[in-house]
Amino acid sequence: MTIDLGLRPGTGARAASFNEREAQICTVARMVEDGKTYWVAGGGSPMYAVLMAIRLYAPGAQYITEDGVIAPEPMLPFEPVMTMVSSRAGYRALAWGTMNTAGNHAQLGLMDYGILNTLQVDQYGNINSTRTGKGEAARRFGGPGGADSIAALCWRTVLMTDQEKRKFVERVDFISSPGFLDGSEGARERAGLPSGTGPFRVVTPCAMYDYTESRRLRLVAIAPWVTAEQVLAECEFTPVVADQLGTLDGPTEDELNLLRTELDPRGQNTAERSAWIIYDGEKYERAAG
Amino acid sequence: MRILAEGAAEYLKVDPDGFRAWVRDHKDRTLTSKLMSARDAVSRFVADGDYLVFDCNYFQRGPSTLLREVIRQKRRDIWLCGKFSYVDVGLLVGAGVVSKLDCGFFWPGATLDNAARDGRVEVFEYSNVVMTLRLQAGAMGLPFLPVRSFGGTDGFERSGAKLVEDPFTGRPITLAPALNPDVALIHVQQSDVYGNARVFGTGIAHQESALASKKVIISAEEIIDTAEIRRDPGRTSIPYYAVDAVVHAPFGAWPGNCGGYYGSDTPGVIEAFGAIARDVVPAYADKYITPFEDDQAMFNAIVGDERLAKLRAAETISEGYRA
Repeated sequence: MTIDLGLRPGTGARAASFNEREAQICTVARMVEDGKTYWVAGGGSPMYAVLMAIRLYAPGAQYITEDGVIAPEPMLPFEPVMTMVSSRAGYRALAWGTMNTAGNHAQLGLMDYGILNTLQVDQYGNINSTRTGKGEAARRFGGPGGADSIAALCWRTVLMTDQEKRKFVERVDFISSPGFLDGSEGARERAGLPSGTGPFRVVTPCAMYDYTESRRLRLVAIAPWVTAEQVLAECEFTPVVADQLGTLDGPTEDELNLLRTELDPRGQNTAERSAWIIYDGEKYERAAG
Repeated sequence: MRILAEGAAEYLKVDPDGFRAWVRDHKDRTLTSKLMSARDAVSRFVADGDYLVFDCNYFQRGPSTLLREVIRQKRRDIWLCGKFSYVDVGLLVGAGVVSKLDCGFFWPGATLDNAARDGRVEVFEYSNVVMTLRLQAGAMGLPFLPVRSFGGTDGFERSGAKLVEDPFTGRPITLAPALNPDVALIHVQQSDVYGNARVFGTGIAHQESALASKKVIISAEEIIDTAEIRRDPGRTSIPYYAVDAVVHAPFGAWPGNCGGYYGSDTPGVIEAFGAIARDVVPAYADKYITPFEDDQAMFNAIVGDERLAKLRAAETISEGYRA
């Protein structure tokens, strides 16, 4: 049985070269539903994905950020790191509030989706952005920020992370923001979280996951430039694999033009380390080196 | 009420009656000018050992001038509210100001790695919204507020929150302890000399922080007449009787953006990142803070009028920021 990935086709011709970060943003943009509300993590890939979607696919989708900006028409590009509480980021919004505005609106059930990026995710969709390792190897990270509220309160949470073994772990070193917790039925409700909420998809630069009925990550689609074996080799645990894997299409010229010339012309987000992919008109390949 | 689970961490004592008594005895109800220098404000109202909250952050309409003054005056043993912060937590930790930290979010780096590993700073775990909710409870004179997030996380275990059986629905609900900080630092666009303050644009928890804190220092881009406040009272974000000091601080959010007034100073932003990424905050302080009597002297010596004028010109957006 083929799983409905909920992905619309991209507009425009398939792009001949792009990097995996760009591909990940385009995939999430194609998932965005028109007429729905999105609480997006401030800055980085989630915000670019929703901005792309609004421009190309879902003009009626709205987003808020944790400083209480509701449905802005931001003046792009953002100055470095100025993606919240900045005049350009909040430009032409429908309303301005504060952090408790965002938290309360999500707690009321007004946020259909949350989109987050993270350091580490586990088989139950739990999110770590607090710390990794122990002793001398211990590294301290910044904490959940707004992600805990997004993951707890939005109806569906889409997570963006890298397809790397150290990021796809059996159990996160620290649950900063909740997925399905220990994976048992009703675990979120027992912890006081609203029912009917929780993890929905994980999107990496080369794969997509949903969750089984028993709340475990399930690989459902891969990019055409990787094999399932390659993806699974970059998971610390073995996720459930769908009987029939879908294929994620590469970015289109329209998507990349928008991303590179308007959304992130300085490459602040997309120029970070990630593999380059070449499309020769028939097949996709990771570029050497 | 049945407690189902509770965090094991230390948290600032919850004492709504004590806070009411403080308000009764210390918050001046008269319309008296509180205008003073940043030096005097920090000297009078920020003490070693205080719990300190600041609103927004070093890059986004935060009280950067006041934070630099706290470092300049070498405050110590501060318990810091690290919600929606950025490099500011690292700057204060790296300057030796902080001993305890409530974490919602801060920008990580070598300074925080090293301080946490060496035990120089103790970190308690929350989220941004849980911290602003704690401030909301404090600003309402309540001992706690319920919240439908945070339960089930490892942060909960290292916090002061409790999971209880809700006496109304019978379902589990998380309670976050109220927070009444000793001191709040808030940067605003406009204030009169009494502390009637206007924040334009979004914010994090400026109203909650001002009302919840024992001592409140406002820094303002502009000091405006009270007649202007009375002309448009709906724009008053913080009323005077919550405020203890008003500091006139043009470019008080530098190197950050202050909506309607100036854009962010990208080289200044990158340099602050570098200081905590490489754990060289003392060198940053030696360049921007310690040699100078105040920020004005620093701006004159290092940043210069021409660069500041460019930042003003870069802020082309005025909608929503000017009365």
